[in-house]
Amino acid sequence: MYGVLGLLLTSGENLMSRVMCVSSAAGVCSSSVEQKIYVELNETVPCVRLLNATHQIGCQSSMSGDTGVLHVLETQSDLDWILSSGPHPPYMVIMETAFFNRSVMMRMKNSSRVSGVAVIVSKTGLAQNFSPHTTCPNQNTGVYVYSESYGSELANCNVTVWNPLGNGLSYEDFSFPVFALKDENQTQVIRKCYEDHNQRVNGSAPHYPLCAMQLFSHMHAVTDTVTCMRRTDLQNRFSINPEVLCDPLSDFNVWTSTRPLNSSAKGHAANESVVIAAARLDGRSFFWEQAPAAEGTVSGIITLLAAIQALYPVTQEAPPPRNIFFTFFQGEAFDYIGSSKMVYDMEKNDFVIDLKNVHSILEIGQVGLHSGRSLWMHSDPVSRKNDSVNEAVSEMMNRMESAAAGLSVSVGHPSFSQPLPPSSLQRFLRAGPIPGLVLADHQKSFSNRYYESMYDDAENLNVTYPPGLTPDEQLVYETDAAKVCDSCGCVAQLLYGFLVQKNNSWFRSLLLSAGPGPPQFYIGLGPRIHGPVHSVTRFVQYILANLTGTVTNLTESQCQNPSELSTENKDLFSYFWVSGPASVNSTGEPFCVRASVRLSEAVSPAFELLEYGSRNYSTWTESRWKSIRARIFLVASRELEVMQHRWS
Amino acid sequence: MNLERIPNEEKLSLCRRYYLGGFAFLPFLWLVNVLWFFREAFLKPTYTEQLQIKSYVKKSALGLIVWVAVLTTWITIFQHFRAQWGEVGDYLSFTIPLGTA
Repeated sequence: MYGVLGLLLTSGENLMSRVMCVSSAAGVCSSSVEQKIYVELNETVPCVRLLNATHQIGCQSSMSGDTGVLHVLETQSDLDWILSSGPHPPYMVIMETAFFNRSVMMRMKNSSRVSGVAVIVSKTGLAQNFSPHTTCPNQNTGVYVYSESYGSELANCNVTVWNPLGNGLSYEDFSFPVFALKDENQTQVIRKCYEDHNQRVNGSAPHYPLCAMQLFSHMHAVTDTVTCMRRTDLQNRFSINPEVLCDPLSDFNVWTSTRPLNSSAKGHAANESVVIAAARLDGRSFFWEQAPAAEGTVSGIITLLAAIQALYPVTQEAPPPRNIFFTFFQGEAFDYIGSSKMVYDMEKNDFVIDLKNVHSILEIGQVGLHSGRSLWMHSDPVSRKNDSVNEAVSEMMNRMESAAAGLSVSVGHPSFSQPLPPSSLQRFLRAGPIPGLVLADHQKSFSNRYYESMYDDAENLNVTYPPGLTPDEQLVYETDAAKVCDSCGCVAQLLYGFLVQKNNSWFRSLLLSAGPGPPQFYIGLGPRIHGPVHSVTRFVQYILANLTGTVTNLTESQCQNPSELSTENKDLFSYFWVSGPASVNSTGEPFCVRASVRLSEAVSPAFELLEYGSRNYSTWTESRWKSIRARIFLVASRELEVMQHRWS
Repeated sequence: MNLERIPNEEKLSLCRRYYLGGFAFLPFLWLVNVLWFFREAFLKPTYTEQLQIKSYVKKSALGLIVWVAVLTTWITIFQHFRAQWGEVGDYLSFTIPLGTA
């Protein structure tokens, strides 16, 4: 009903404004009638639709938006008002933080009186734990899959439930739009409209005109990835104006090595025995492009970057017998996109090394919340039944223990029969038995109470800064977290840059400036859609170049085309044109850095093989949409609407 | 065209042409035939050609009813089951709506 009224209002005022435009002498139109009716909400954080081989998840709105009368959900009686007793359905629910949980959302989903939800995102009223992810992350694409013979008794989290606090909200399919209200000022505007018009006086229902909100987030893709890709193909082949319906999630992995590897020589590298040190680069949450992922991802990234920074000069002076291959995998939240692609390339001999070159793997999982300074080394019990693998793994564990003893950090190993937590190592094990360890701060289930949610931020990691510091002072302030092991002072800067503010002076000196606020780790759609490389991937790439590269005195054009010079080798190194540190007076002098840091594509092999219904590889795609916006306005009573119908 | 001023043989030949044309998968010709010649066939006083015109109109009406029944049935089935047919439904469709199954 309100949608119809809204539509009539929109079309009516569009007509009126056009008439006014035509008759206006100056010829300048500003659609002022529209501005008098609607208040556009500029900061919108929607929930979008994602699809995989068999399901669709996320939220969908009608093509012309969903409208509903505003009601703020603060108490249980509000919930009853919305779901059963309120006289003006459908309602647009403004949900306080405390009510954003599975039971309330499922009741909203099953009710026909709810036309949309806007969740207030704040720390007040936040529950002790909130994880919208599933209880057993990536259970169908790890190494312990029920249908396979490899450890099927360990499948589906039979032994350990890794994320017991997970409520699975991110993987539900909602037929109404769900937006997040992050901007406090905007939330105030909405609350004021509600208090002025919609508030109940002495328990009786409020009168018209009422404050209503309209949310637009119409998604184009439906059903699953197979259907959506098929329809996109049909459109491309037969339609005059082809429309793409969905895009695969893709981005890049970042890798580097202590001894440079020849990137033009693919397949097995002769005389190379490589130890892989890996971490993941992405996260997710219920809402689109929101993923602070502090404990889930940033802790691993910073640990690995700090390790690289400490190890690199040592390995250049005294090279170890084995090459160390550092890699950051993108897309691990969505069925291991990055690591499955790298393993696939290695199996196809399309990568600089192959699986026979890999000696062992050390992966850094969630390491930020270790209480009492204890870390755990997880290993795979099934591969350890093989004696040689077991020996290698035991040797790795002994080395870790002896290294940790000197640092007053205790490392333990959980029980032998416990499987690996969700980690990229599982994808390597699918290809063959490789000795590997996953370092984590949890022995059994995750210590992270906000796994893959919007609340997994700096505060979750206890990284806080005293008030009153300027951004530059905050950049170098050593929080308690940074004091752990920081030989260069760059851990503090990394923590600040990855958790609090990505537009800081260090990042700006490496590459062009980024937007305000902390970086978000959602994988996104890759360079075909979003222009150059995703910001987080680029940060890690340039930071690695800064930490491990050498400054050269090439000019800018030489830096872009180093193959013309005989002293430079484009196969072994990549060349970065870096803007240089900015001082007060000048913007800094750019220079060329040579480093052996490279990107490798992180798109699921299912899209290369065109097996959109694959059970072995990730098939996640993100739907496309035309416009996502929100606005509030006043609606008139139903009698007025009926009269309008009669007259027209 | 005003049928008043045409001689009866021409009326008959027009009706026959529309009747025969409808067999080329053109049921609208039959619809036009029925609507146009209804008065001529049933409401005018008798003349020699009227018997044949009457038979053509009746047969056109019959063909029209068959076409309407077939099309209605097919359209109802297609609109109801297209989403469930998956791949076949997509290949049979000219435009597929965005965002709904």
